[in-house]
Amino acid sequence: MNVRMNEFKKVLSSPIILGLLILFIVFNSITIFKSSYFKDDLKVLNEVVAKFGYKIDDEMVNRLKEYYEEQINRLNEITEKRTAKRYSSVSEFYKDNFYNMEDVYSEEEKMFIRNLGIIENYYYEIGQVDELYSNIDIIAKGEYEIKKYGLSGKAADTVRNQYREFNERFHQLIRNGEHKNLFFMGKVYKMHSLLFKTIFKTIIFEIVILSVLITLYLINYEFDCNTEYIIYTTKRGRNLIIDKLCIAICSNLLVATIIIFTALSLYFTIFNYSGLWNVPISSYFNAEYSFPYMSWWNMSFKQYLFLSILVIYASMMLFTGIAFILARAIKNNYIGFFVFAIVFGLFLTVPNMIPRNTNLIFIGGFTPFFLIMNPNIWFMENEALVTFKYYELSTISIWTVLLLILSVLSVKRFKRQDI
Amino acid sequence: MLIVNNVSKSYGKFSVLENINIEFSKGIYGLLAPNGAGKTTLIKMLTTLLFPSEGEILYNGTDIFSMGDDYRDILGYLPQEFGYYRNYSPRKFLHYLSALKGIDRDKAKNRIDELLKLVGLENVADKKMGKFSGGMIQRVGIAQAMLNNPKILILDEPTVGLDPKERVRFRNLLTELSRERIVILSTHIVSDVESIANEIIMIKNKKVLYKDSPKNICKILSGKVYEIEVDFDQVSNFRKEYFILSERQEDNSMKLRFISEEKKDDSWTAVNPTIEDVFMHVYKDEVIKEG
Repeated sequence: MNVRMNEFKKVLSSPIILGLLILFIVFNSITIFKSSYFKDDLKVLNEVVAKFGYKIDDEMVNRLKEYYEEQINRLNEITEKRTAKRYSSVSEFYKDNFYNMEDVYSEEEKMFIRNLGIIENYYYEIGQVDELYSNIDIIAKGEYEIKKYGLSGKAADTVRNQYREFNERFHQLIRNGEHKNLFFMGKVYKMHSLLFKTIFKTIIFEIVILSVLITLYLINYEFDCNTEYIIYTTKRGRNLIIDKLCIAICSNLLVATIIIFTALSLYFTIFNYSGLWNVPISSYFNAEYSFPYMSWWNMSFKQYLFLSILVIYASMMLFTGIAFILARAIKNNYIGFFVFAIVFGLFLTVPNMIPRNTNLIFIGGFTPFFLIMNPNIWFMENEALVTFKYYELSTISIWTVLLLILSVLSVKRFKRQDI
Repeated sequence: MLIVNNVSKSYGKFSVLENINIEFSKGIYGLLAPNGAGKTTLIKMLTTLLFPSEGEILYNGTDIFSMGDDYRDILGYLPQEFGYYRNYSPRKFLHYLSALKGIDRDKAKNRIDELLKLVGLENVADKKMGKFSGGMIQRVGIAQAMLNNPKILILDEPTVGLDPKERVRFRNLLTELSRERIVILSTHIVSDVESIANEIIMIKNKKVLYKDSPKNICKILSGKVYEIEVDFDQVSNFRKEYFILSERQEDNSMKLRFISEEKKDDSWTAVNPTIEDVFMHVYKDEVIKEG
């Protein structure tokens, strides 16, 4: 019998872990299905991208204009036939036909008008992109953030420096034309928030809960079963704790993969991104509010998604390490999980008490607890406390080293500890 | 040879064992003391579960803690109280433990069949242990301790939960095993070790009080143990005057076994002391407290 395989079977035999995993998958599916009512709207953009590409340049705009005008003519053919009226745009049509569309137009016609309305939105938004970006002042945004968080002194200087650096990136973004690419209209559909905030944040919390539970469960398994005297006096002895940690990591990787795979498979089955994988994440159309999403690097949606998944896996590893250290100190799993929840809360609240005129205020942001709170703004210009180019990488690296050291010390201590 | 050298164990200011010195070579050693005397603490140090506060434990001259898995490789241990995986069968549990003990899979298979037969569990070898009786679990425990054919076999209260027949069988098994290994058997049940132990170790007041053969230990009370038959109404007075080792009702009187420094009455019959008598004598304070 393989020892590690047996440790893995212990995880699989836990009804709580399996039950929670199934519950989380069902919950994620419901969350995705709940938002699927506008999935057909998204297909319109895919058709536009299939015809004209996603890159917004003069040629593309001219071709789209031509197409749009053709479609408006087609609209007028329909409206003339039905109501003897002509319209210069779909929005004008809707103003005029707000109440009586149902009786006058066939289903097919209504669908055509609806889709043309979506195309019209994109067409007119394209025309505003340059003007909108010419009004963006990154330095002013930095000052706004400083005011918002009440920062002063060295803390405010640090934020200014970061925004000064980001300002260069902003100009590079403009030069690259990253903003001038078609993507699902964020102000209408909020797809970035749906995927990277609602779904990813839920996924991350689910993975964290399961990772902590699995790690606590496996590390303390022998103490729970009262088998510690038999197990730790065998030849493998206390080295088994290393096997347990390895299997906890593997199990957590598996659980994370199952949750991510099921959620994203369903998401991308329902929402068609087929023509948009390579659109830069900093596209103007991705913006959901007045200030657009802008990444520190030029990266496509596909790359951003991949990197975000990597951060989820890295966070999972960090929380496994935290749970391992907790499990070594606390033998009761329920108390262990409770303590983890308290630690989590403390790491989010205590940094707020640090004076806002020193750079210490930023330390609180560089924790895995803070990192997982806003997955929708990873690798992007962000709020004042975490607008650092290498924020995600630094947080993960620092905590990896810290937890590795603590884990090694914890294992060494266990080997010299009375059982 | 296993040597316990000036070993003390304390938890903060609370001392459990002080300056313990014992040498173990092949044979059965009965570690005899009432509950709470420090037997389990000593055993946990011998099995590397606890670390001595002072002193060292050497196996063939090497510290057992620095030997690490080499030491645990030759160790078999049955704890006083131990858990098991309720959803596992004895066979599966033993297979898992043999993997932890580094036993080759094929060898383990034969050894497990052999041991399951030896402890009389071959008929339930594949049944889940969740519904096993205490005695059956204890037999699984005995089997796991012997899986790796250990050179040092340490058994803490091994006969708890075993019925009289199983106890006899277990004692015979130990006698056979002790020919080629060190067997340390901790118990507070004197009959477990009286007949089979080569040496008895008694711990009192945190120290080793006696370590000798049962025959020599019995000599401590030589000429001091008597038996007498008395009427029921005299028993109370007798108890006040002498330390009673045992009482047995016989027809219309009571047969008392007691200790006296000298023979004061011809009706007293001098008898050979047993280990149980010595145990009662040595731990009389604890016996009175427990009583």
